Amino acid sequence: MSLVRWWSGLVLAFALLAVLRIYLPLPFAIEIIIFSIYTLGCSFLLGRVGFISFGQPAYLAIGAYATAFYLFYFGNNPYIGILIGVAAGIVGSFLIGPLLVRLRGDYFALVNLALAVIIYYLMQKVLADITHGDNGLWYLTNMSSTPVLDLTRPDQFFIFAFVVAFAIWAFFKYLDDTIYGACCLAVKVNEDKLRFLGYDNFKVRLTAFVIANTTTALAGALYAVYLGFVSPEITSPARAADPVVVTILGGAGTLYGPIVGAIVYTGMKDVVSKVIGNWELIVGFTLVFIMLAGEKGIWGSLEPRLDRLMARVTGKRSDEVGQ
Amino acid sequence: MIDSQLLVSGFVFGLSMGSIFFLMTIGLSLCFGVMRVISLDQLLYYTVGAYITYTLSLVTGSLWIGLLGGIAVGGLAALAVERLVFRRIYEREIAFSMITSFGILIGGVGVVKYFWGLVPRPVAIPIDAQIFVLGTEIPVYRLVVVGIAGLVYAGIWLFLNKTIVGKAIRAGIENVEHVEGLGINVSRLFTLIFIIAGALSGLAGGLHAPLIMVEPQMGLEVLAFAFMVVIIGGLGSIKGTLVSSFLVGQVVSIGSLIYAPLAQMAPFAIMLLILLVWPTGLFGSPMLKK
Repeated sequence: MSLVRWWSGLVLAFALLAVLRIYLPLPFAIEIIIFSIYTLGCSFLLGRVGFISFGQPAYLAIGAYATAFYLFYFGNNPYIGILIGVAAGIVGSFLIGPLLVRLRGDYFALVNLALAVIIYYLMQKVLADITHGDNGLWYLTNMSSTPVLDLTRPDQFFIFAFVVAFAIWAFFKYLDDTIYGACCLAVKVNEDKLRFLGYDNFKVRLTAFVIANTTTALAGALYAVYLGFVSPEITSPARAADPVVVTILGGAGTLYGPIVGAIVYTGMKDVVSKVIGNWELIVGFTLVFIMLAGEKGIWGSLEPRLDRLMARVTGKRSDEVGQ
Repeated sequence: MIDSQLLVSGFVFGLSMGSIFFLMTIGLSLCFGVMRVISLDQLLYYTVGAYITYTLSLVTGSLWIGLLGGIAVGGLAALAVERLVFRRIYEREIAFSMITSFGILIGGVGVVKYFWGLVPRPVAIPIDAQIFVLGTEIPVYRLVVVGIAGLVYAGIWLFLNKTIVGKAIRAGIENVEHVEGLGINVSRLFTLIFIIAGALSGLAGGLHAPLIMVEPQMGLEVLAFAFMVVIIGGLGSIKGTLVSSFLVGQVVSIGSLIYAPLAQMAPFAIMLLILLVWPTGLFGSPMLKK
């Protein structure tokens, strides 16, 4: 019974997403799925571990470029490309992590954003021979069709991305239930106390850093396969705020916040850019408004109400809708 | 080996770049030092300062009037933002102010785009003259920029050390509660610091305008350098900001002479090295806010 209860929230959320797919155009649905995976890493870092990460595009670029290099220069199987992207994410965050996680929160945020900018320049100028600079790498025709799920076809790619997203959400939900998840929260709330309890702050933070950024790298790899090209634009400083905005919009640290945030954000972007074409204005002031209005975000303020509603309707099933 | 003429002009280039960095980041540093907020919106005042300078120098024909306008508008914008937004978030943690001010920066860039459009605008250099230093031609304007930065530093030093308000600000960097306990109106002090910071950022933008193209994204482009300067120098330290902005200026300028892509990469490498040894920068204080 408890197993059913554990899964039911997840299944409900993804069933709703699948229903959305019927009403939304395909590129929009895929964008939402990948964007939510991208944001989940940032949301986990900000809401659960207390790291504000403006550098998420850096890890997105690591995953995307690793996949792109493989597909452009070496092979043509998109599945292997995605695996390589994820592996690059793990290796990259293990290399960068030890330096970054021992920094104080404010320095972490600043260094991380600087990292994203540096990777932008690295891809745009320094490694221009390999990355083809601003033109980007194009390899859409390099990718071969694969059996079972053909990733080169958008409709089947959507199914793949959907399954991957479901697995990741199940993993993060599981993470919340473990002692490790509690440790992450403790690092955010009171790290001295965690040390008194005998846990190693550094290890907890490093693991969280690697988990979150590997998730982001996976999103990068998915982008790379879906779009069929990668350019330095994905890590440009102007887009550094995207994951943070979506995180805040959806509600930092909540499980379904990133999905809600991604839907609202991508929808807004679509509508706003059609109407006035001045995108930054809306993003920036929405961010300020949400921060001043209590920083709980859409899902963060919706969730308790849904819980209460469900409790009233069904009596005891109160905790299924939430987390 | 690089020949000496290039080296001299590279050195002067680095000096002028360091001066701009210094004017731009001193606001960030002061705001962190006293209010414990990270005010990324300083880069918005930098952009606005550059645009006001562009417009006024086009209308009046004089860059200096444009600069005064840039300073005034930068300060006024900072005052408005402080009253509307920052006033409500001083008590919050640092990440909070960082996200909010980034929102202001992005939104502000949108406003700038609305008024001036996307096209990069050139600003004429007010002083065309060149002088010879050690056999190398040096544009006088770059030296003027360095001179203005020197004057500003001297002014800030005098202000902080010789006036009662400045002394209150320095005491505020140590401990704001004690300053409040002495009966000083801290709220008014915060507003004043914000106006100074915004005005200096506006000045930096105006001075930088003739050296580069004025465009809406210019604030985001120098963002990484501004970060590196405050991190290397240590958040909240004015001396650290001075030292590190000239360090970064020289590294960018001399580095790009040796190998062009070094201009962006070298400061970052140096920042990482410095953080390995001193996690809070060269002159940063190890203490936390709460």
